[in-house]
Amino acid sequence: MDCFYAAIEVRDDPPLSGKPVAVGGSSRQRGVLTTCNYEAREYGCRSAMPTFKALQLCPRLIVLPTRFDVYRNESQRIRGIFRRFTEFVEPLSLDEAYLDVSHLNSSGEAVAREIRYQIREETGLTASAGIAPNKFLAKIASDWRKPDGQFEIREEEIASFVHDLPVSKIWGVGKATAEKLYAQGVRTCGDLQSVSLPDLTRQFGKFGAQLHQLCRGIDSREVEPHRERKSLSTERTFEINITLLPECAERLKDLYTELAADYQAKHRDRSIAKAFVKLKFSDFSRTTAECKISGLEEPPFHDLLEKAWKRGHNKPVRLLGVGLRFEPPPGESMQLEMFD
Amino acid sequence: MKFRISKEGFLEGLQQVQHVVSARTTLPILSNVLLEAGEGEVKLTTTDLDVGVSGRVEAEVKKDGCTTLPARKLATIIREVPTNEIDVEVNGDNVATIRSGPSYFKILGLAEDEFPALPDFEDAKEFKMEQATLKNSLRKTSYAISTDETRYVLNGIFWSFKDNTLTLVATDGRRLAMVDHEIEFPQSHEGDIIVPTKAINELQRLLRDEGEVLIRRTDNQIAFELNKNILVSKLIEGNYPNFRQVIPAETKERITLERETFLSSAHRVSLLTSEKSNSLKLVFGEDNIDIMANSPDIGEAKESLAVSYKGPEFAIAFNPEFLMAPLRNLDSDEVYLELIDEMSPGVLKNNSSFLYVLMPMRVTQ
Repeated sequence: MDCFYAAIEVRDDPPLSGKPVAVGGSSRQRGVLTTCNYEAREYGCRSAMPTFKALQLCPRLIVLPTRFDVYRNESQRIRGIFRRFTEFVEPLSLDEAYLDVSHLNSSGEAVAREIRYQIREETGLTASAGIAPNKFLAKIASDWRKPDGQFEIREEEIASFVHDLPVSKIWGVGKATAEKLYAQGVRTCGDLQSVSLPDLTRQFGKFGAQLHQLCRGIDSREVEPHRERKSLSTERTFEINITLLPECAERLKDLYTELAADYQAKHRDRSIAKAFVKLKFSDFSRTTAECKISGLEEPPFHDLLEKAWKRGHNKPVRLLGVGLRFEPPPGESMQLEMFD
Repeated sequence: MKFRISKEGFLEGLQQVQHVVSARTTLPILSNVLLEAGEGEVKLTTTDLDVGVSGRVEAEVKKDGCTTLPARKLATIIREVPTNEIDVEVNGDNVATIRSGPSYFKILGLAEDEFPALPDFEDAKEFKMEQATLKNSLRKTSYAISTDETRYVLNGIFWSFKDNTLTLVATDGRRLAMVDHEIEFPQSHEGDIIVPTKAINELQRLLRDEGEVLIRRTDNQIAFELNKNILVSKLIEGNYPNFRQVIPAETKERITLERETFLSSAHRVSLLTSEKSNSLKLVFGEDNIDIMANSPDIGEAKESLAVSYKGPEFAIAFNPEFLMAPLRNLDSDEVYLELIDEMSPGVLKNNSSFLYVLMPMRVTQ
C-alpha cells in the first residue's frame, strides 16, 4: 500500500488532500513519524524520523495521532481481496504481503493490475505491486513504480536487472554490511557477483552464502501463508563504539521508541512474552539479556541493558539492539520449561 | 629457529590446537599458532582469549626459537606435503620456510611477543581423574548444553565438586543430563564452576581412553593437563539454576526399555514429525507403548513396543530429539523411564549414576 496510514487519514478527511500529512507520535513526547504521505516526503520527511525533526523540515506538516483499529480493519479488507485470487498470502505487515500466483492461468502482471483495481474501487486507496519469479525481486520491484504503479521483472530480465542494483537493496544488508562491501569496491549486485563464495562466507558466515545467491537474483524462499513472527527487534551499529553506560542508555531510548512504534503499527495483535536487549562488543562477542514482561514499557529495557553491560566488563559497545519475543499462537505444541 | 619434524606428528599436533582459532577475529595474531622449539620438541599454542590449547610434538631441534604462523594455512600445508620429513626454518623477521622433499613454502608469520600468554595457575586447586571416566561423563551430558546465547549460564557444563564427588550437569531448560563420579579431594577444594561449551568441545577432542587428566582451577579459570596437552579456559560467571529442584522426588510408573530397540523405534516414528508438529507421543497401555507422530501436512507414523506395564492408560509427548539424544549417548542395554503424568517431567535412568530429566510437550488442540 502507498503510505497506508497517511492515505487512510487523507481519505477519511478530504480537506487534507494535497497537504503534507503524517501519522505518528507528537514531538513533545519524543515521538517519531510512523508514516507520511508523498507531499510530506518532498520536504524530506521519512517514516521513523523524530517528529520534531520532521517539523523542522516541513513546518506545515500535519501530524495526526495513529488510529490502529482503523488501519487494521482496512488491512483485513485488503487481505480479503488478495484471497479472492490466491490462498498463498504471506503478510509482512499491515500494508504489505507476498502473494504466490504462479498456479493461476492469468499472468502475474494481469493479476496485480486487477488486485490494485479492486483495492482502489473498494477502499479508495492506492497500492503498488512488484511481479517477479521470487520474493526478493518482487519486493524490490514493488518499490520501482510507487505510488500507484507496478513493475515486472521477468526470468530473462533478472541478470540485467540485478547487475546495477545497489547492494543496499538486498534484504539483510544494512549500513554495516554495506560499508564493508563498499570498502572492497563492491557497490552493485553485479560487483558482488565477482566475489567468490568462500570469500563471502569467510566475511559474513551463513549470510555470505545468501548474499552469493541474492546478488544473482536467486531466492528460493517460499511464500509462507502461516508464517508466524516469533520476535520483533531493532538494532543499531554505532559509527563510534560507545564506552559509557549512560550514553548507551540514551541510545536505548531512541531504539525503544522505534520498537514501540513498530509494535503498535504492525503487531498489536500478538501478545508479548519477553523483552530483550542485545549488545555486541568491540571484540565482536555478543550477549543478550532478557526478562518476562506483560506490557510494553521502557524501564525493563534499561534494567536489561545494565545487566548486559555488566557482562561486557566495560568493553566498548559497537551494537545495541532491543526486541520483544511473542507468545506462540494457539494450536502449536509447546515445549514445557523447567526453570520458569 | 630451525627444526626437523615428522609430517604425522606435526599434523596431529596442529589438528589438536587449530579448532580454537576463530575465522573472524579482531586481533590478527589470534589466527596464528605459536611455535616454540627447544629441548627436542616443538610446543604449539593457540588461543581465542577465552580458550587456549597447547600441545608438544617431538622434533629434532637444530636451533631454539619462537614464532607465530597462520594456523589453518600451516595445517593445510603440512597435510599436503609429499614426504614424511619436514624441515622448518624461521628467520628473524618471522618468515618461515618449509621444505619437504621437492616442496618449498615460504609463509609470513608475526612476532611471538604479541601472542597473548596463557594464564598461569598459581594457587590453583588440583584434581585428578581418569581420562576415560571424564570422557564418558562428557559424552553423556554435553548434548544437553543450551545453545541459546540469551541463557549464557547454560552455555556450558556445570561442575560441582562436593563430598568427594564430581557432579556434571548440562541443561537447556527443557531437558537436563547429569552424572556423578567419586573423586578424591580435600574439603577446601569444594565448589561449583561452569565450563563453557567451546572448552568442553576441545576437551572432548583431547581426552583419550587411557591415562589421567589433571584439573586445576582458580576462581575464573580452569586448566586441563592431559597427555602432552594443556587446555585452559575462562569460566562462565553467573549462577547456575537450581537444577535439583526440577528432579522429581518420586515417580508413579517405572518402565524398563531396551535402549537400542526404543531408540530405533523412536527414530523411525520421528521421521513423520515436522518443524510445526515436532513431538513424539508415547501412549501407554497394558504391556505396550505406542509411539506416534503426526504432521498434518505430511502424514503420520506409529510403532508398538512390547514392554512390561501394568499402570493406567495415559499419553505423554516429548520433543523427539530430546528423547533420543540420551539413548544415543548411553551404552547400557537397558534404560528406565520414570513418569508421573503428562504434564510432569519424565526421568530416564540406567544402572549408573546417569540421570536425565525431560520436560514434556503440551500439545494444544
